[in-house]
Amino acid sequence: MNQIKSYPYQIEELYRNTKGCTYQCDLTNRVVLQFGAYVSAFKFHDFRSFCQKVNSVNIHEMIFNLSDEYDFQAIQTPSCQQTYRLSLCELVQLRDLLNGTKFTLELNSLLHERIYSVNA
Amino acid sequence: MKDLARLRTSLKEEIEIALNGQVKTEAEASSKYLAMASWCDRNGYEKCAGYLYKQSEEEREHMMKIFKFISDMGGTAITPEVPAVQLEFPSFKNVFEVALENEIAVTLSVNRIVGKCRREDDYATESFMMGFVKEQMEEEENARRALELFDLIEETSTGKFVLDKEIAKIGNE
Repeated sequence: MNQIKSYPYQIEELYRNTKGCTYQCDLTNRVVLQFGAYVSAFKFHDFRSFCQKVNSVNIHEMIFNLSDEYDFQAIQTPSCQQTYRLSLCELVQLRDLLNGTKFTLELNSLLHERIYSVNA
Repeated sequence: MKDLARLRTSLKEEIEIALNGQVKTEAEASSKYLAMASWCDRNGYEKCAGYLYKQSEEEREHMMKIFKFISDMGGTAITPEVPAVQLEFPSFKNVFEVALENEIAVTLSVNRIVGKCRREDDYATESFMMGFVKEQMEEEENARRALELFDLIEETSTGKFVLDKEIAKIGNE
């Protein structure tokens, strides 16, 4: 069990990389994302929409387009009223963190289905 | 640790994406029928215009049904973006040729979703989509019947008048 400063409940770690970490809060049924200075708590379907948003950013465009507006990406979190301002490197790290988290959540779901379920 | 994914929705992400894709397909189909109805109206085929308006409405109903299903299953239904559709047609017959092509495309898309549901063991969505499989059989049959009528009735001036009336009767007999 872990705790982060700006989140009051006990949480369990899902995935970690050099830039951040994600947790699951069983009390509020939220996925908590801590990425650099940002901390957000998502409902599951909001987390999924946020992943889709982050994964749909065109990284090639960010690399090859020289205009200033492509230096950063602003991504709004669903229902959280927060905007992530991300450089290319941060975007790649956030993708890794979110996709890793998604994998852990799916794995957990699979374990529940195959092992923990009473009638499995 | 709780299973957050299942607590919220029983729809797998891949299925949710496919269903949202189908929402978009149905919205596009509705828009295409609307464009056809407008063309028929402009060119004097009043009865066919009415028939195509009805078809457009039906496609929208399908879209809403799937949209509602995604929401009811705890997924995120996405309001579709509809791209520009073909507004002009070279002939009266071409309108119905395009209509049949569209119906075939919708059928293939529905079949792909049913296939995905089977691979993912999602029998609830499969059972829901089976309604659309049946619906598409009917839609394709109607579109083919319209083209058959062009083979039976010559496109002379009175022929066009009769065609307009006969096509509008499809599905009501």
